[in-house]
Amino acid sequence: MEHVSAQAYTIKDPKALAAILDDGFVCVTSEGKVLSKAEVLADVRTYTALQILTESMLVHLHGDTAIVSGIFRTKGVEHGKPYTRRERFVDTWIYKNGQWVSVTTMVSFAGD
Amino acid sequence: MRTTGWLLILVCAGLLRVRAQEGGKGGATTAVLAQEQAWSDAESRNDTGALEQIFDNALVFIEDGRLATKGECLARVPLAGSHPRQIVAAATAVHFFGSAAVVVGTYHELAVKDGKASPKAWRFIDTWVNKQGRWMLVAAGASPLPK
Repeated sequence: MEHVSAQAYTIKDPKALAAILDDGFVCVTSEGKVLSKAEVLADVRTYTALQILTESMLVHLHGDTAIVSGIFRTKGVEHGKPYTRRERFVDTWIYKNGQWVSVTTMVSFAGD
Repeated sequence: MRTTGWLLILVCAGLLRVRAQEGGKGGATTAVLAQEQAWSDAESRNDTGALEQIFDNALVFIEDGRLATKGECLARVPLAGSHPRQIVAAATAVHFFGSAAVVVGTYHELAVKDGKASPKAWRFIDTWVNKQGRWMLVAAGASPLPK
């Protein structure tokens, strides 16, 4: 699901993301912003990322809750300039109605 | 909320001004916020025994892009006091998803190092899971807010 999610962001597909994100989804970005599901879906088409790779992923299961941590390596172009970002994330997934849905994402620029 | 060692937490009054995101969750909201408060209190006392009861064994903690396990969080506690900090948490909301609760808010930190005060503001997001009637912290993270 993490890879599906990264792919949905990369190809800027709000429909695919809508199926993955719970209606109560909350995201805290590296800049400290809080985004709801609606805000993420509204913004996804403007994302500048061309490639998002995940690495060092760890999954911890707690009943119907899964915590996934890892690193996003993002490549994109912003204002005509290419960039590479390395961000650490921790996501919370819930098993709901027979599928895993993302309920939180917290991203922070990787400090190591 | 936040851990990391060597801190002095003075106030978490903001935890009282909370919005529960689902109806009929008042008791659970209170219980989760009590755990947030217990965490702050345990940090201020450098009480690793209490923290051990609050942190799930599989805790994932990210602050400022650095990852720490439960063991690493606990190992930092004895350094408390060497660089005192004040932390004030505020504007908190609690969301419930099945057996998980998510607390979102901000906290303001004043760290003193080498005689210099350094204010910082953070957005945090904590995930708690109810295990056998007890809310355990399974994930926590914070990103710095722009100055």
